[in-house]
Amino acid sequence: MSELFSTLLFQNTLRTATPVVLAALGCLLTQHVNITNIGIEGMMLTGAFFAVLGSWLFGSWLMGLVFAMGAGVLLGLFYYVFVIKFGSDEFIIGVALNIFAGGLTVFLLRTLFQVKGSFSGPGIVPLPTLTFPLLAKIPLLGPLLSGNTLLVYVSWLLVPLLWVMIYKTPLGFHLRAAGEYPEALRSAGRNPNRMKCLASVLCGMLSCLAGAHLSLGYLRMFAENMSAARGYVAFACVIFGRGNPPLVFLAALLFGFIDALGLRLQKVLPSDLTSMAPYVVTVVMMVAVVLLEKRKKKRLARLSR
Amino acid sequence: MNTGFLQSLRALTRLKPSQKLQRDYLLSLLAALLVAFGLGCGIMLLCGYDPIKAFGVLFQGALGTRISFGNTMAKTVTLCLTGLAMSVAAKAGMFNVGGEGQLYLGAMAAAVVGAALTGAPLWLVTLLALGAALAAGALYALIPALLKVKWKVDEVITTIMLNSAAIYFCSYLANGPMKTGDRGIASGTDAIAAGAAFAPLIKLSNLTTGLFYAAVAAFLCWYLMKRSTMGFEMKLTGENDRFARYGGIRTGRLMLWSMVISGALCGLVGMLEVFGLHKRFLVTISNEFYFDGMLVAMIMRYNPFGTILMSFFFAILNIGGKSMELKAGISSELILIIQSIIIFFMAAEGGIRRMLGEKLAARRARRAAVKAGREAKA
Repeated sequence: MSELFSTLLFQNTLRTATPVVLAALGCLLTQHVNITNIGIEGMMLTGAFFAVLGSWLFGSWLMGLVFAMGAGVLLGLFYYVFVIKFGSDEFIIGVALNIFAGGLTVFLLRTLFQVKGSFSGPGIVPLPTLTFPLLAKIPLLGPLLSGNTLLVYVSWLLVPLLWVMIYKTPLGFHLRAAGEYPEALRSAGRNPNRMKCLASVLCGMLSCLAGAHLSLGYLRMFAENMSAARGYVAFACVIFGRGNPPLVFLAALLFGFIDALGLRLQKVLPSDLTSMAPYVVTVVMMVAVVLLEKRKKKRLARLSR
Repeated sequence: MNTGFLQSLRALTRLKPSQKLQRDYLLSLLAALLVAFGLGCGIMLLCGYDPIKAFGVLFQGALGTRISFGNTMAKTVTLCLTGLAMSVAAKAGMFNVGGEGQLYLGAMAAAVVGAALTGAPLWLVTLLALGAALAAGALYALIPALLKVKWKVDEVITTIMLNSAAIYFCSYLANGPMKTGDRGIASGTDAIAAGAAFAPLIKLSNLTTGLFYAAVAAFLCWYLMKRSTMGFEMKLTGENDRFARYGGIRTGRLMLWSMVISGALCGLVGMLEVFGLHKRFLVTISNEFYFDGMLVAMIMRYNPFGTILMSFFFAILNIGGKSMELKAGISSELILIIQSIIIFFMAAEGGIRRMLGEKLAARRARRAAVKAGREAKA
């Protein structure tokens, strides 16, 4: 048992949770402007590919991130134009975007790199890991706080930042108004569509960063369909955390923990069964959040009587 | 261009503008097809391929020989059934993205039953395997449906999650308890009873007598959706469930049924794959077949007849794409890109048309204003 719950388990938790955290942070922005964006799965995959492409072309992780974010901005704009400007069904565009991303990344993989399945190589420069000697000395937590890749710290910083932005600044207020009651925002002289565009583009960027962490964080490779439904998991985390960044962060950590635990349990159980765990848990989470909400409503109703 | 392509386009334009697929919509579809193929050609040119040759190879590969025609027809059947599965659920307002998992479980159930009954009369084997596949798909679709109807849990996410869960579960069975002892099979179940597999209709091709099962299922679906009371009630539920409930329709039950039928259809596809092609369950039994069918159904706005026609067209692209990859060296994923571009434009069709209309109206108004101004000056 002690072997199971070692530091490594929590390190793995961080590792698998970080892409989900980043994507979920993007997704919660669109959720606040009332767009149900399930296209983050495809955005993540595209980000993962372009991060590898940028890193490989220029031999620099920074260019990898720039490429990924550029792809994210384009995808976010694309999503905005099709869903808001053209008023298409957000589910259909989301699903089509995911299929498009799957096709595009594999097509580019085969055409540019002439490989099937996955592309890895010494030319790909991974994200830097940051070590803080002071933090590393803290017992127990030290190895978790220090020695992570750049994007892990970025994701940690983004959680409070986004919380402040959404709940404490005028911009966040307008953002939420664009989702809850666009007419009110319009009568206040603001364009709700501009808020939706901003949320969509930021979501694209964050989802693509999540992808960049997948491909440049620990693995230094791009594999076909490497996002493996993590975008949908991120979406579920947003629902679970009701769009509140710290809660969403915790939900993503929970997912990462279960994923990591599954990896550890592979010694005892067949790997196919342990791989099922995160998906099943996500479904359970979705049900739990709905039931909790229901109970809360009932309690409030009783109180108001 | 090959005549097959032109013919299928002509067939599309000849569709009567009845019911849901109006002429405007078909014109938009034609425009979307042209744009998508244009973009596809552009990508090919960018990558240094010859698009005309590539599409020639594509249509040759899909319709050129008897065998390839058979394969294309077999693919049409798969796309058609998965597309109909999507449509039935969507009619009642359920977005079933979980067909892939239902397909896997149906295939697994059919393979296990088919293998366990070795020695039983063949008709019994087929019947029981069919029942098992339908039940497996239907029951698995019932989970997200119940969650949605009882507790309003979003079905898009749950069905996607259950996809991955089912695929891993089947992979576990095929690698663990149900693993075959046959040599040369890496991860799969035992072969189904000898002689129970469907006979090929065209020699050496994938087209088998499974076609008849599919045809019956497709007819029943069409009847259900277009001619029955239940289909009408489903449509009302999907379009406005509050109104439907107000009109005395038991919307919850209809949503459950639509998902159950959808899941059963996916199970049937799984069984056809096992009994038609592989003769056993393999972990590679489906390559996102359901998602291809879903695309078709979404493009044709869940219209059953349109879905059947479009399935044939997409099957040509699908099968032809493979020979394009082999002979012209162009990755077959290009086809996926073209298909998803068609969807983008078809989903946005109404919006694009509205915007173009507004622009035209604005221009006309501006011209009229300028003219009026001139006349006033004169």
